[in-house]
This record gives sequence, structure tokens and C-alpha cells, in this order.
Amino acid sequence: MQQRKSVTQEYTNSVLLNGTLETPKWWPYLVSILLFFVLVGIGLFFVQIYFGLGVTGLSRPVYWGLYITTFVFWVGISHAGIMISAILRLTQAEWRRPVTRAAEILTIFSLLTALVFPLIHAGRTWRIIYWLLPYDFSRGIWPNIRSPLFMDPIAIGTYLTGSTLFLFIALIPDLAVLRDRTTGLRKGFYTILAMGWRGNPRQWKMQVVGGILLSALMLPIFVSVHSIVSWDFAVTIGVEGWHSTIFAPYFVIGAVHSGVSAVVTMMALMRWGWKWNDFIRPEHFDALARLLTVVATAWLGFTFLELIFALYGLDAPEIALREMQIFQYPWNMLFLLFLLTGYIIPVPMWLFKRVRTNIALMFWSSIMVNIGMWLERFLIIVPGLARKTPFVFTWEAYSPSWFEWYILFWSFCWVTLLMLLFSKVFPLVPLFEQKESEVFSDSVKIGRANVPTIFREEEE
Amino acid sequence: MVIENKDRSWGMVIDTDKCTGCNGCVIACQVENNVPLNDQNKFERGRVMSWMRVERYWEGEFPDVKARFIPIPCQHCANAPCEPVCPVYATYHNNEGMNIQVYNRCVGTRYCANGCPYIVRFFNYWEPIWPEEMRNHLNPDVTVRSRGIMEKCSFCVQRIRRGTRKAKEENRELEDGDITTACQDACPTQAITFGDLNDQESKVSKLSKDDRSYTLMPQFNTDPNVIYLASIKENKEESQEEKAHSHD
Amino acid sequence: MTNQEKHFWPPSDPSVVRTELINNTKKGGSTLRTIVVSLILLSILIIVGIIGKVIIDGNDQTQWGYVAAILAFILSATGGAPMVAIAPLIAKASWARPISRIAHIIGSVSIVNVIIMIPILRMLPPLIVDGTRRRSIWFEAPNYSPHFWDTLGLIMLAITGIALLYSSSIPDFAVMRDSSDGIRKKIGKILSRGFVGTTVQWSKLRMRIGILSTLYFFVLVFVHFIISTDLSMSMVPGWRDAIYPMYHTMSGIQGGVASVIILCWIVRKYGKNQNYITINQFWALGRIMFATSLMWIYFFYSAFIVFWYGRSESDAAWLDLLIRGPMMYVFIIAMLFSFVIPWWWLIWNRVRNSFNGPFIGAIIVLIGLLLDRIRLYVPSWSVDPKLIHDKWLTEIPKILYPDIWDIMIFIGSISLVFLIIIGLSRILPLIGVWEIHQLNLLSKPGKFMKAHGIRVAKPD
Repeated sequence: MQQRKSVTQEYTNSVLLNGTLETPKWWPYLVSILLFFVLVGIGLFFVQIYFGLGVTGLSRPVYWGLYITTFVFWVGISHAGIMISAILRLTQAEWRRPVTRAAEILTIFSLLTALVFPLIHAGRTWRIIYWLLPYDFSRGIWPNIRSPLFMDPIAIGTYLTGSTLFLFIALIPDLAVLRDRTTGLRKGFYTILAMGWRGNPRQWKMQVVGGILLSALMLPIFVSVHSIVSWDFAVTIGVEGWHSTIFAPYFVIGAVHSGVSAVVTMMALMRWGWKWNDFIRPEHFDALARLLTVVATAWLGFTFLELIFALYGLDAPEIALREMQIFQYPWNMLFLLFLLTGYIIPVPMWLFKRVRTNIALMFWSSIMVNIGMWLERFLIIVPGLARKTPFVFTWEAYSPSWFEWYILFWSFCWVTLLMLLFSKVFPLVPLFEQKESEVFSDSVKIGRANVPTIFREEEE
Repeated sequence: MVIENKDRSWGMVIDTDKCTGCNGCVIACQVENNVPLNDQNKFERGRVMSWMRVERYWEGEFPDVKARFIPIPCQHCANAPCEPVCPVYATYHNNEGMNIQVYNRCVGTRYCANGCPYIVRFFNYWEPIWPEEMRNHLNPDVTVRSRGIMEKCSFCVQRIRRGTRKAKEENRELEDGDITTACQDACPTQAITFGDLNDQESKVSKLSKDDRSYTLMPQFNTDPNVIYLASIKENKEESQEEKAHSHD
Repeated sequence: MTNQEKHFWPPSDPSVVRTELINNTKKGGSTLRTIVVSLILLSILIIVGIIGKVIIDGNDQTQWGYVAAILAFILSATGGAPMVAIAPLIAKASWARPISRIAHIIGSVSIVNVIIMIPILRMLPPLIVDGTRRRSIWFEAPNYSPHFWDTLGLIMLAITGIALLYSSSIPDFAVMRDSSDGIRKKIGKILSRGFVGTTVQWSKLRMRIGILSTLYFFVLVFVHFIISTDLSMSMVPGWRDAIYPMYHTMSGIQGGVASVIILCWIVRKYGKNQNYITINQFWALGRIMFATSLMWIYFFYSAFIVFWYGRSESDAAWLDLLIRGPMMYVFIIAMLFSFVIPWWWLIWNRVRNSFNGPFIGAIIVLIGLLLDRIRLYVPSWSVDPKLIHDKWLTEIPKILYPDIWDIMIFIGSISLVFLIIIGLSRILPLIGVWEIHQLNLLSKPGKFMKAHGIRVAKPD
């Protein structure tokens, strides 16, 4: 079901710039509320620095809890960007067009949030900030490259740099449009950023080639970032349920599942918020849901493999851990909720085209998926710590304090706030991608059917 | 401050047969090393700090119930899983076979604690507070840690340094028994022996080769410097079975 | 390659396509007859090899590692081939149309796996040995579960592969019925089962192909999972590696793609099918093989880093057995041939944009695959059976060299694979006629402004 209608370039420009050149009515209210929550969160963070990590629910041996879960969760969400803009660009999927920029900035902002969490969770934040920089600040001691916790910021930083460059290259033509439609200080700002874009063939070629090269370079990062984060857990022998070789691809595919669902959530909100109904159409949700079904099923396969091989070793501590995770309260409720929200409810829903093209249903199912994925990270990290090895005498429970819950809530407010601020300065849907698809698409008669076509340039 | 290296490997032998579970070693360690005080709230929240801890397991059904005790300090593993994971090199293995924790380098990521299978690492969740009256008992040889820092048993490294320095000043070799840890001193049954495992004549070295000796969780290949002696069973078969099970 | 050669395309007249492709089934002459006779003679070596080995080494499980490796190699090199047809089908990519038949044909040779499985059934130890059950994915299942399920899996793979080949060839059988003569006409009449190309028949056919494709994928993953764990991981005490089945599957898909490339090259060169198998197919296949080489190193490294970092007893034993012990040189060459060389070779556009480039890469990949399977299976079977109940492997077996029976089985099975492919190509055109028709309908090469390209139609 193709619902595209032919639109002029003027129409594209005016509709897609309604967030940047004008402001939707709800925007100032939402931004003020979010800003309030964000500032309260930052204040609470300083409270934690003053009093110590005792304000959390952490204990011994549950040394890692909600903060690290949320850290891994946000790194996971960030995989949406590469998946959608880089991989779909390289495989030339047409339906990526409206979402590439939103996915890329979701990546950038979720990476920024993810980078904040190791600072929040560390005991002495005021020291970690400069001791993790690759420089021998104090007494000639460099950071420990062998530690996965040091490889994390390197990987995330590389991903962040690459994503920002990628976003910028894709922004340039749109910045030129903005430059030509604004005056005064704003015009000056856009002029500098647009770097003299005139839209002649040479510049277009460089922009396209630049985008493709960056996409290809980012692919190894796509796989390695979440793998490195997963190796935080996988290389540790001291915790049951962590020392598994499957963690790297398992986390990556979970990240794609989680990230693409987040993009679906975002797309629905964008369509409702800025009324971009002509550009974000049910066919896009259909395509995303199909991708999600494949990814989610692969993810389920990996979950199953992880569980089977956890039990395979017939190792008493590991089996005790799984028993607790699946059968004992409160873990059994969380486990059931995780399976239901992560796969069992959303994926069978997505098998039906009527559901895939219903935007409200896609919105709610994608939120469900992310609840499930957050729980998945929690269930991987915390139970193993609570039931550490055979020292039953030192087993401990974990109940997160309201402090940690608020910081989790704060991270969502922070990312949403950043996205809303971004939408005021740059257009959330790439204008030039829309115009490009107008030019490339056509329709042809095959038999009695009118089939839409896309023109693909031959590769040299 | 580089101590003269004589290829030492400080180690400990703990005889679980002699251990009565009195927790004297725990108290002595707390006093010697300025370990923060534990109150009821800390026990309830699971944040007890005791560098040397005594684990107690119940065995058997009433009325034949037995309590089994095992004191567990830091095992100072030669193949320590806590060392490669610290992002700032706050924990490392020195040339005397000990795992050292550097307090002023630690940023409190708590990754080392996750890696340790023996759960011997502790984190300061709050700023430690000593009541006014107790401040004079703090050991001046040991750093007083603030919040956000990991700490663990150091084999009373301050005593090792003091003993080595004293021997050097007196221009003699360090002898077995010169240096004792606080827990060793406090134990009423002398269940804990400390010394140089590389010195073949030392008491600890001889005890470590005993028939009853075992290490905790050998499947992790941590190569610990703390060796345990199994309790003597009433019949030989039971003790063979226990030795086999200790490999689980 | 000339500019003209780059723009080859199948002829647009359907009757020309039909005649040319049906002629494919008749081409060959005396060279082909000589080849077929030699292949028949060589295939008999399988039986000779198996019987000889059973007589000589029938009681010593540790001598059978190479036979298991050959089974795994044939499974990995041929089982993944249909994925080259299945994945583009789901993604509605038309470049794979001309090579789908080749992919399905390679996937139909799984009967060879069943033949090699027969002696393995005899030599594979049951789950309970000396009264104790060894670690396996079968937990408390009956004693001979691995034997039963592995054979069943391989048979199912063979049946599904042939069913998939059959379903996707029904329209071609109809074409043969209508345009051939003699025995081909008779075969076409029986096997096309009344297919005349009505709308209902086409939609039923598409659904059948879709369901069989999905089924084939699941069976393939299942078979890789059980063969890899039962025939290697389960034989080594302490080896617990959750990523291993997926690593085996991934390198299996890499092998399948390599086999497709090799057969495409042969069919194009010696069948003179330059119009049908064009540079587009090699360009895409080269890219896929490049990607699967990266997947190889990724899945391998996921396991390696966890074991290398963990340093526990079973971790160190894995490293000694498979990497740095007696298999060190095999491992180095396998890694060079599976990842390093294909990656450095296929990364260049000029190599991928040629016919010989991917072909050479494919040969290197298959050699690497064979060495990798030897590296995994031979040490596993060589482990002293008395040690199977230990917690971890304490005695690394010495290196085992192949004997004359192993070589006979290897040569015999490769010959049998080629024999089956040639046999199938006599009754079925190697390039699907209906697939070329569909390619012509949905993709039209043309010019757009000044650029050469293809107009691709995307029906729902």
C-alpha cells in the first residue's frame, strides 16, 4: 500500500521547517517542564557527590545496579542511528528517508547520556573525569587499556564522533535551505555551518560519497561498541551468568531491537507533534515493524542460546542463579514481564499488516519493547551479583532507592529535552532526502498493475 | 619507596579445624586497619565492612547441628581477576606476591569487586564517621579512607613495611615470625599463620604442603596465596569426600 | 572489463530467454561425460573409505576426528547456500534472481551429510558413559538423543533443501513441459503438476516458497546448533561456549556464499551465460562475502576475548586445545584464509567489480573453512574418552594426521557433491527461467539524465 502523493519542493520545505522556523504551540510548555526535571536531577547528582553512593540501594556484593543497567540501555538505544542511517543507506532501502536524521540525533543524545552514567555511578566522580582521559596526568600513570571500563569510553567516544560527523554531513544541504530563509544572527549561524553550499553537482557528489564512506567506516563501530560494553560483563569470571561468550552479539542484536523500537516511538511522536503526515506514513512503520520482527526473532534465538549454555555446564552456582531468576519472587515476575514485553506480546502483533500500519499500536508496542529490553539488562546484571558464587553467607538482595529511579527518569527527560531543543535549531526530517526520493521515484505499468519504482544508479 | 626485593611471596595458611568462629581476627583487623564501624543499618543494607570475615554455615539436622566456620581475607591471588579490570590501575600486584589497593588512585567504579569471586572487596558507600571518643585509636600508619573508595585486606602491609625497615636498620635478614598480621596475633587458637611462602623453612611454607591443604575455588585458576587446611573429620572417608567437593 | 561488458543484461524477449536457458540443460558433450564418469568413480571412494576405516579404527573414537570435520565442512560449505536466494527474496532485491536456482541446487546436496553421518553414528559415544552422563545440550534426554536428533536434523535439512528447490522450480518444469521434448518433456509434465501460471497458482506458489524458505533457515540454524555442539563441544570436558553454534552457522553461511560464487563463475564461464550472470551478481556476492568474513572474525573474537581474559581453568584449556596448542598452525592458516586474506582482497572495489576477484576470494574462503573445521573437530574427537567427566580438560591430545581412509572419504564426498549438482543441472536449468522473466519485469536498465542505472519496481 503506497500512499505517497507527489509534493512540490516548496511544500516539503515549508512543512518540514515548521518546527524550526516556527514553534508548535506545545513546545515551550513541554520544554519548561522537562528543564525543571532535568535541573532537579542535576541537583540530586550533586547531593550524591556530597553524601556518597549510600543514597542508592547498592550493597555488597550487588555493586552495580540501576545506573549500569541504564548505561547499557542507552548505549543500546544508540544503535538505532547506525542501523537506520548507515546500514539502510548502504543497502539502498528507500523507506529510511524520513527517519535518518531523527535516528542519528537519537544516537548522539543517547550516547551523551550513556557517557554521563559512568560518571554518576563512580565513587569519586571528580577524579574519574580526568583520570580516564588518555593522558598521564598524575605521576606518569596512563589509564589501563586492558580494562573494559576504559575501552567503553573510547568506543562510545569514537561512535559519538563518527555519528556527529555523519549527522553534520547529512545536515549541510538543509542548513543551506535554512540559511536562505532566515535573517540576522540566525542567518549568520546557518551560513557558517552550511560552509558555502551551493548545490552544484560537484558538491552533491562529495556529500554523497562522504556519507557513504562514513557509513561504511561506522559499520565496525556499530558492532564493536555494544560488544565492548557487553565485555564489561563477559570477561569477569567472578559473577555467575556473566562469563558467557555469547554476550557480544546478544547485546548488539538486543541493541538493534531496542534502538529501532525507540525510533518507532520517536517517529510516531514526530508525526503527531509536528503534523508531518505526508512524510511519515504508515508504510514506514510497516517496513520498520518487518525489520523489527526479524531482529526480535534473532534476539529471542540468542536469549534461548544464552540460557541453554548457562545450564549446559551443570555448574551448581549457575543453576542456582537461573532457578532464582526464573522461579523465585520477585525475579520471576520481572522475568515474565521481560519476556512478555520484549517479545511475546509485540512480535505476534507485528505479524499482522493491520497492526503494522496502525501508528498508535506501533507506538505502544515499541514502548513495551523498550521496557522489556531495560528489564533484560537488569536481569543480566543484577541477579548474578546478588547470588555470587557459592558463598551463600554473603548473598544479598537489591532494592533500588528512589534516588536511582529518579535518575533513570531524569535520563529520559534529558534525552527528550535535547531532542526538542535540536528540533528548534535544525529540521528533524531531512529535506534533501525527501526531495531526492521525489526525483528518483516513478511508477511503471506491469501487466495491469501500477507499480512504484525507484531509480538506482549503477555502481562504478 | 622501593623495598629491597628478596623474591618474597607473602602468604597465609588458615586452619579451619582450629577456627572456633570467635571473630577475634575480624575485630583485630578492624582496629589495626581503620576499617569503618558497622551499625545495624549497615547490616540491614548489606554494606558491612570487614576485611577479614568469618563465614558460618550450618550442617546437619537438629539435634546433630554443627556450625562450620571459614575466615576469608583477601586471597592475594597471583592470577587476580580484580587486577586487569581497574580502569585507573588502582589495584596491582607487587613484587612481593601481594595484591595492593591504592586508595588515592581509586575512583570507585567497583569493577574489581565484581571480578573477585571471593567477595573480599569493600566499598565506602558513606563517609566513614568515628565518634569523638574513638578518634584517638585510629592507626596512624594506615590511610583513613573517604567515601567512594574500594578497600580490602592488605596483609597488614604497614606491618610488613615496618618489619622490613626495622630489619634493614638493624642490618639483619628478615626472619620468619618477625612480621605478623593483626588477625594472626588475635587468634586464640593460632589458626592463622603468616609468612613468606617462598622461604622453604618458614612455618607457613611447611604448613601449606600439608595433606589437608586446599585453596578456594581452584576452577577459577586464581592461584591464591591463602591456603586452607581442611578440618579433621572423625572418619577418613568423609574428609576425602570433602577434599573432592572443595573443587566444585 | 570493457564498458560494454559492464552493461550486460538478459535479453528482454521471453522466448529467447526460455530457449537459451533450457539449452543449458543439454550442453556439455564429451568433456562433461568424461567428468561425470570420473566423478562417479571418485564418489565410490566414500564407501571404500568408510568401510576401510571402520575395519581398521572401528573401536577407537579418537581416530575419527577427520570424518566429523568433513561432515561439518560439507554442511558448512553447502547448507548456507540457499540463504543467498532467501535473504534477497525477503528484502525484495532483484539482483539475486539469476543465481537463486544455483543457490537452491547447492543446498540440495545435504544427502551427502547423511551418508557421512552413518559411520559417525557408530563412533559417537552415547550420553551416559561408565554410568555418568556427560555435559550436553540434551540434559536429561534419552541416552542416544544426539544420534537420533543429529541424523533427523540432517535428513530434515536434505528434505527441506530439496523441497525448496522443487517448489522454486515448478514454473520451470512447466516451461520444460511446454517447450522441450523427449525425457525432459516427460519430467516437466510430471513435476510441474498442472502449473499454468494463473494468479491463484502464482500466489500459492509464492506463499509456499516463502514458508519453505523460512523453514529452511530455521532447520539450518538448528542443524548447525546440534551438529556443532554434539560433535565437538560435548566431547571436550569443560568446553562451554555459548557463541559456538552461531559462529558455526555464520561461517557456514560464509561457506555457502563462497560455494555459490564458485558455481556461478563456472556456470558463467563454461556455460557461456554472460548475459544472465552479470557483474551485478558478482558485485553483490563479493560484498556479502566481505561482510561474512567480518562476521567470522567478530564471532571468533567474541569467544576468544572472553576465554583469554578470564584465564580460568576451562578457559585456558580451550585456548590450549584449539588455538595455541597442537592446532596452532592450522589455526593461523585458517584465520588467514577465513578472514585476513578475504578481507584484504575483497575490500577493493576493483576486485569486487570483477569476475575473478570474488572467485579467488571464494576459493580461499573454502580452504579456510576446511582448515577451521579440522581445527575444531579433530582435537575434540582426539580427547581421551576417559577424561570426559572431568570438570575441565587437563590433558591436551597430541596432533592427529589424516590417514588414507579420511582422504578417500573427503575426495569421495566432494565428488558426490559435484555429481549431484551436475545431475540436477541435466533436468533443471541452472538459471531459473521464471526468475529471469521476473527480473526483466521488475528491473529495467536505463538512463536517468546522464547516469546509467536500473529502474527497480517494488511491488508489495
